[in-house]
Amino acid sequence: MWGYPEPIGRLVEQFMKLPSIGPKTATRLAFHVLSMSSEDVEGFAKALHDVKHNLTECAICCNITEKTPCSICADASRDDKVLCVVQDPKDVMAMERTHEFNGKYHVLHGAISPMEGVGPNDVRIRELVQRIGTNEEISEIIIATNPNVEGEATAMYISRLLKPFPVRVTRIAHGLPVGGDLEYADEVTLAKALEGRRQI
Amino acid sequence: MRIERLTLGKFRNYETGNVQFADGVNVFIGENAQGKTNALEAIHMLAMGKSHRTSKDTECIQTGEESALIKGEITVKGHRSVLQVDITQSGKRALVNGLSQAKMTDFIGHFQVVLFAPEDLQLVKGGPAVRRRFIDMELGQTHPKYLYHVTQFNRVLQQRNAILKQTEIDWDYVGVFDEQLAIHGAEVTVRRRRFVDEMTKFAKRIHQNIAPGREQMSIEYNPSIRSDDERGHLNVDALAEHYLTLLRQRRHQDFQSRHTTVGPHRDDMSFFIDGKPVQSYASQGQQRTVALSIRLAEIDFIYQEVGDYPVLLLDDVLSELDDHRQTNLVISMHERVQTIITTTSLAPFHGMLEGQMRLFQVHSGIITG
Ligand SMILES: Nc1ncnc2c1ncn2[C@@H]1O[C@H](COP(=O)(O)OP(=O)(O)O)[C@@H](O)[C@H]1O
Ligand SMILES: [Mg+2]
Ligand SMILES: [Zn+2]
Repeated sequence: MWGYPEPIGRLVEQFMKLPSIGPKTATRLAFHVLSMSSEDVEGFAKALHDVKHNLTECAICCNITEKTPCSICADASRDDKVLCVVQDPKDVMAMERTHEFNGKYHVLHGAISPMEGVGPNDVRIRELVQRIGTNEEISEIIIATNPNVEGEATAMYISRLLKPFPVRVTRIAHGLPVGGDLEYADEVTLAKALEGRRQI
Repeated sequence: MRIERLTLGKFRNYETGNVQFADGVNVFIGENAQGKTNALEAIHMLAMGKSHRTSKDTECIQTGEESALIKGEITVKGHRSVLQVDITQSGKRALVNGLSQAKMTDFIGHFQVVLFAPEDLQLVKGGPAVRRRFIDMELGQTHPKYLYHVTQFNRVLQQRNAILKQTEIDWDYVGVFDEQLAIHGAEVTVRRRRFVDEMTKFAKRIHQNIAPGREQMSIEYNPSIRSDDERGHLNVDALAEHYLTLLRQRRHQDFQSRHTTVGPHRDDMSFFIDGKPVQSYASQGQQRTVALSIRLAEIDFIYQEVGDYPVLLLDDVLSELDDHRQTNLVISMHERVQTIITTTSLAPFHGMLEGQMRLFQVHSGIITG
């Protein structure tokens, strides 16, 4: 493929599977790999392998972790009563950077998006409901899904499912840039949004 | 509002391009298929963030190239700024004064144009989608909030319709999208109604000047979400509430047709001359006069909303106007409005613009002034 020796062609194809990498960049990267030292290439390959094989989902919060339960779930100094529901592992990092939240998390791994074939069962909503049903300590759920169509729908879906439970369900306030990602919100904005959450 | 300079790179048949415009009338003259419309398309893109003749941005990239560039120096209400659109095979980036805009909706609204092209007859003759697109474009470039609501509405609608296509429909699941649909749908409807009312005011006046006899033109907005309560028309909350009720009532129809059957995606507007519908009753000439009146009404509308006149782009239309009053009116615009005209011949302007226009020759993707 591409008129290059077969191993290069294969590597180019692999690079093109990554987001926002087209044929030109993929080819440049592939040739760069060729010029790297053997140790570096091996280190690179091992890192790729390890990220997939040494990480699992935390049995409690579904965040990605090396061991389950994850360090946040295992942290006794954190508040068990409040649960912050986020879309992605990256959002946990964003919330942690605010230093304003001392509760625990639940990671959905996505948001409901029927047009992309992602229904409620394709994200960790069932796990969330189960967790709330079996853990009586939890008294507030803060839904911090992204402030876009899919994030809002997911929040709505979860809040309806949680009606029967004796928990307060809140949604983080919309100081966040509309249509944006939680991940890209700066710490101050996110902290404000957390502070100004409203009941749904 | 002025476009002072336009720079193109690998855009359609322009390898490079650089045009410095005059304040009044600018005429691009050239044979067919030389790049006249391409140049107007580029200017349109600076205003609307997208082409007026294709929804596929990549079509604008010169064949065989990776990316295209459009850059315009503009003046709005005396303030100069630089707008830029970069189109690549993987997406589009828009910059204002060198700053990349996070979303296209942040870019649109810095600069306004009104484009009149032969296809505009479709506004009157074509289907409702053409008229909805017209409203979206015009309101979009003057009211960023509208653009936001209509974009959100379309997204929610797609999501809701995706559930309606599933073999088994869980209405509680569908309902998760209804609230967002209702809010954005009501915002869109109310804003469209206000827009049509304003446009009617301006278009009527223009029509009186260019139509023969004492013909009276009127426009009517036909929203899909109708409230029986006349006063409720402009109340977003009341309308959203009403829309939610309609969504519940129409579940059966939605299920049958597998998509959402009520909402602003079903809106239309109709034009009348002396109370008779233009689409079915008027002659081609009358239809053209109505289409022209609507386009020219945009100029006044934009002035009212933005506080500056838009740039007027006339693509090959002057030869089609059969009435010298219309040609006169269009050309006389340049006293207030910077005008860019494309044409294959100078005959239609004969004796009208002597010494007042800047002339550019367009040949095989090269503009010489
Ligand atoms: N992506 C493209 N790359 C190169 N040339 C293009 C591209 N798109 C259109 N063209 C060329 O542009 C010309 C049409 O330009 P246009 O502005 O529509 O002509 P006119 O002067 O009649 O208005 C045609 O010759 C067409 O082949
Ligand atoms: Mg043309
Ligand atoms: Zn955990």
